[in-house]
Amino acid sequence: MLDDLVTLLPELVLVALVLLVITVDLFLPRSSKWLLTPITVGGLILAGVACLAVWDVNRTVYAGFYVVDDLSVFFKGATILTGIISALFAPSYLILRRIPLGEFHMILVSALLGMCVLASSSDLITLFLGLELMVMPAYLLAGLHKTDRYSNEGGLKYFLLGSFASAIVLFGISWLYGITGSTNIAEIATALEGQMSGALLVAIGFLLVGGTFKIAAVPFHYWTPDAYQGAPTPITGFLSVGPKLGAFALMIRVFAEALAPLRADWLGIFLVLTVLTMTIGNVVALTQVNVKRMLAYSSIAHTGYIMAGLAAYANASNTDAAAQGIQSVLFYILGYAVMNIAAFAVVAMLQRDTTRFGGLNSFAGLASRSPGRAAAMGILMLSLTGIPPTVGFFAKLFVLLAAVDAGLAWLAVILVLNAALAAFYYLRVVVYMYMRDPEPDPAPIDTSPFGSVALALSVAGVLVLGLFPDAILSLIEESAASLL
Amino acid sequence: MEGVPVLSLIVFTPLIGVLLLLVVPGTNHRAIRWIALLTALASAAFSLILLGYDTAGSEFQFREDVTWIQAFGMRYTLGVDGLSMVLVLLTTVLSVVSIFYSWEPIRKRVKEYYIALLVLMTGMLGVFVALDLFLFYVFWEISLFPMYVIIGVWGGPRRVYATVKFVLYTLVGSLLMLVAILAVAIAHAASGQPFTFSYEALRGFAYADTLQALAFVAFFLAFAIKVPMWPFHTWLPDAHVEAPTAGSIILAGVMLKLGGYGFLRYNLPLLPDAAVSFAPIIIGLALVALIYGAMVAMVQPDLKKLVAFSSVSHMGYVTLGTFVFNEQGLQGAIYQMISHGVTTGALFLLVGIIYEQTHDRSIAHMGGLNARLPRYAGVFGLFTFASIGLPGLSGFIGEFLVVLGAFRYHGLVAAAAMIVVILSAVYMLWMFQRVFFTVPSDWMRRFWPVLRDINRNEWIALTPLIVLVVALGVFPGPVLEVIAAPVDRIIEAVNGAGLTALGPLW
Repeated sequence: MLDDLVTLLPELVLVALVLLVITVDLFLPRSSKWLLTPITVGGLILAGVACLAVWDVNRTVYAGFYVVDDLSVFFKGATILTGIISALFAPSYLILRRIPLGEFHMILVSALLGMCVLASSSDLITLFLGLELMVMPAYLLAGLHKTDRYSNEGGLKYFLLGSFASAIVLFGISWLYGITGSTNIAEIATALEGQMSGALLVAIGFLLVGGTFKIAAVPFHYWTPDAYQGAPTPITGFLSVGPKLGAFALMIRVFAEALAPLRADWLGIFLVLTVLTMTIGNVVALTQVNVKRMLAYSSIAHTGYIMAGLAAYANASNTDAAAQGIQSVLFYILGYAVMNIAAFAVVAMLQRDTTRFGGLNSFAGLASRSPGRAAAMGILMLSLTGIPPTVGFFAKLFVLLAAVDAGLAWLAVILVLNAALAAFYYLRVVVYMYMRDPEPDPAPIDTSPFGSVALALSVAGVLVLGLFPDAILSLIEESAASLL
Repeated sequence: MEGVPVLSLIVFTPLIGVLLLLVVPGTNHRAIRWIALLTALASAAFSLILLGYDTAGSEFQFREDVTWIQAFGMRYTLGVDGLSMVLVLLTTVLSVVSIFYSWEPIRKRVKEYYIALLVLMTGMLGVFVALDLFLFYVFWEISLFPMYVIIGVWGGPRRVYATVKFVLYTLVGSLLMLVAILAVAIAHAASGQPFTFSYEALRGFAYADTLQALAFVAFFLAFAIKVPMWPFHTWLPDAHVEAPTAGSIILAGVMLKLGGYGFLRYNLPLLPDAAVSFAPIIIGLALVALIYGAMVAMVQPDLKKLVAFSSVSHMGYVTLGTFVFNEQGLQGAIYQMISHGVTTGALFLLVGIIYEQTHDRSIAHMGGLNARLPRYAGVFGLFTFASIGLPGLSGFIGEFLVVLGAFRYHGLVAAAAMIVVILSAVYMLWMFQRVFFTVPSDWMRRFWPVLRDINRNEWIALTPLIVLVVALGVFPGPVLEVIAAPVDRIIEAVNGAGLTALGPLW
C-alpha cells in the first residue's frame, strides 16, 4: 500500500500545494499576495523533483486503475513545467485587473493535478476522472476575469461546449465497455485484437469526436478562438497549452493504447482531420489582426502538426517508426508548450494598459522601445514558424521525420507548405516590431521581474533545446518505449 | 595547421563579433563599426588559410567531424573542396567589402544592422562548408533571416512587401528541400545502413527512381528560387530595389551563389539519374532566364533594377553550364558564379554611391556624369565591361566556357547563349551611355554642385573588387585548377548515372 502511495509522489505534492495555497491565501494581507507566486512555483519545482523520483518506476498500481510509466512521468514533467511558466507570467497581469491571485494559483494547480491523473490513467474511469479534473479548473480560468464580458462569454462557451465534449467521450467509453466488457485500457486492447464491427465504429466515432474536441482539431475547434480571446492573456497561454497537453495524453492513452489494434481503421478519418486542422488553422490565422486571436488560431494549426505525429504512429509498419511517431508527439508538445506560453506572455506584457486588446499595432516599433522583449518575441515567432536553431524547428523536423519514415511523405509536404503559410503571419509580428515606427501613444510595457525572468528562461530554453535536443530526446525515447 | 579547426574559426568568428556587439552600447557607433569590421576581417584572414588547399590531396580537406545530435545521426561535419574554397573566399571578401561600405550610409540602428550582417556571414559560410545535409539546412535557414531583416529595416519605401515576398519564396523552397533531405536519409537508412545525414555517405547511393525524381524536384526548387531561375525570379527585382546597398551586394554577390552551389553540390552528385533526366527541361528554363532577363533588363528605367535583371540573365549561364554536364560547362558555371559575385557586387556598390547623393536611381534622371565624376565613370565602365564579358576581365572566362560547354551539348543552345552575350552588351552599354554620356538631365543639374566623386572609403571598398575582376580575367589558371577536381567528380557521378537514367519516367 505504502509502495503504491510513493509512486503518486508528484500528485501528492500537487494536492498539498493546492491546500497550502488556499490556506496561505486566507492569512496573507492584500499587499503581500504576490508571495503566493514564489510559493506556488516552489511547490511546483518540488513536484518536478518528485517526478524524477518516480522516473523508471514503470508499474501499475491501485488494481490496474493507475499506471506510473515513463510516458506518464514525461507528461507530468511537461505539465509541471507549463505550470511553473504560467504561474510566473500571470500575476502582474492579474493584479492590474484585480483578479484574485489566490484563486488563480489554486485553480491552476488543480488543473495540473487533473492533467497528471489523466496522463497516468490505465483505466478509462480514471481517464475520465482526470479529464474532468483538468477541464473544470480550465473553465474557471477562462472566466476568471469576472467583470469582463469577453471573459464571461469565453468561459461560458468553453464550459458548455467542453461539457458536451466530455459527455461524448463518456458515451464512447460506455460503448467500448459494452463491446469489450472492461474499462481497463490494456484489457480493451487485448479484447479488440482483430475485431471490427459496427458497434466498434460507433465507439471509435464518439471517442474521436470527443478527443479531437479536446485537442481543438477542425471541425471541432469553434470554441477555441472565443475562449482563448476572452480569457486573461497569460491564462490563454496556459489554456492553449495545458489542456491540450492533457488532451494529447488522452489521445495517446485511448488511440495509441486502447484502440491501438484498430489503428488501421481510425487512421483514415484521422488523417483527414489532421490535414484540415493544420490548413484551416493557418488560413484563418492569416486574416487575424489581433495577435491574441492570431495565436489562438495558430494553436489550432499546431494541433494539426502534433496530430501528424500521431498519424505517423498509426501508419508505421514497424515498431521503430511507430515509436518515432509517439516521440515526435511528445517532443512537439513540450517545445510548443514553452514557446506558446511565452508568446502569449509577451502579448500580455503589452496590455499593461487594461484597455488594450493585443492588436498588431501595439507591437509597432517594439524593437526600439524594448529591444529585449522584441528580440524574445522575434525568436519565439521564428520558433513557432519552425526556423532553426529553435526548438520549434526541431519539433517540426521530428514530426516530418516520423511522417516520412512512416510512409506519409505527402503529409510531410502538406505540413511544410503549411509552415510556410504560417511564416507569413508570424513574421508579420516581426515586421511590426522591427520595421514600423511606434504609435504616437504606445502601449505601456509591463516589466515585472517574475515575467521577465520567465521570458528569458523560456527563450533560452527554446534556443538550447533547438541546438542540443539530445538530452530531452533520450528521455522521450524511454517514455515512448514504455507505451509500445 | 593540424588540429586547428580552421573552418569553424572562419564560420564562427563573425558570431563572436555578434556577442561582442551585444554588450556594446547601441549609441557607440564607432566601436560597433570597428568590431564588425575587425571580426569580418579576422574571418577573412582565416579564410586565406584555405589557399593552402592541396589540389592533389583528398577531396575534402580541413575536415572537422563531431557528433551533434546522436539520436538522429546528425553530425557537425565541415570540409572544403575546391568549389567550396573559392566560394568561401568570395563570401569573406564581399562581406568585408559590404561591412566596410556600410560605414557611412547606415546611420539608423547601427548595432542591429551589423549584428544582422555578421549572422548572415556565418550562415552563408556555413552553407559552403557543411558536409552534413542537416547541418547544411540549418545554415541555409540561418542565412535567410538576417537578409529579411536587412531589407525590411534598412530598405527603401516598399521594403516590407519586398522582404516578405523574399522570405516566403525562399521558405517554401527550402522547406520542401527539408522533406527531400529527410526522405533521402530515410531511404538510405532503409537499406540497412546506419541513419545518417552525412553527405559523403548519402551520395553515390542508388535511390529508387520515384524518390530521385521527387527529391530532385524539391532540391531543385529550393535552389532555383535562390539562383533565381525563371520563372521563380520575381522576388529578386523587388528585393534588390528595396535592399540597402550592402544588402544588395551580399544578395547578388553571395546569396544567389547559394543556389548555384546547391545545384553543383547536391542536385548532381546526390541524385544523378534524375539530374540527367531533367537536364533538357532545365537547360530550356536556363535559356529562357538568359534571354528573358536580358530583354527585361533592357527596358528597366531604374538603374538598380537593371542590374538586378542582368543578374537573372547572368545566373542563367550558371544553370546552363551546370546542366550540360561537361567539363567546360561546369567550370564555366563555377567561374561565372565568382565573376558575377565580384562584378555585380561592385555594380550595386557603384549604384549605391550615386544613390547616396541623389536618392534617385532613375536612368532618365542621369546623364553626362562622365564630365562631372570621371573616376566614378571609369570604375563603372570597368565593371560594365566585365559584366558584358570583355576579354581580359573576369566575365569573359565564365561566359566563354559556358558557351563552349553548351556547344558540346547542342549547337543551337550555344547559339541562343551567344545571342544573350550580344543582348547584354546592348543593355549595359546603352545604360552606360545614358548615365555617363549624353546631356545631363535638368534633374541631375540641380545636384551638379554637390556631386562628389568616389571618396576614400569607397576606394578602399572597391579596390579588392577591381583587383579581382582584372586578376580573374587575366589569370584564370589558378581558379580553374582548384575547381578541376570537383568538376571531374561531378561529371563522374553524372556519367555513371547516365546509363541508368530514369527511363520509365518519361
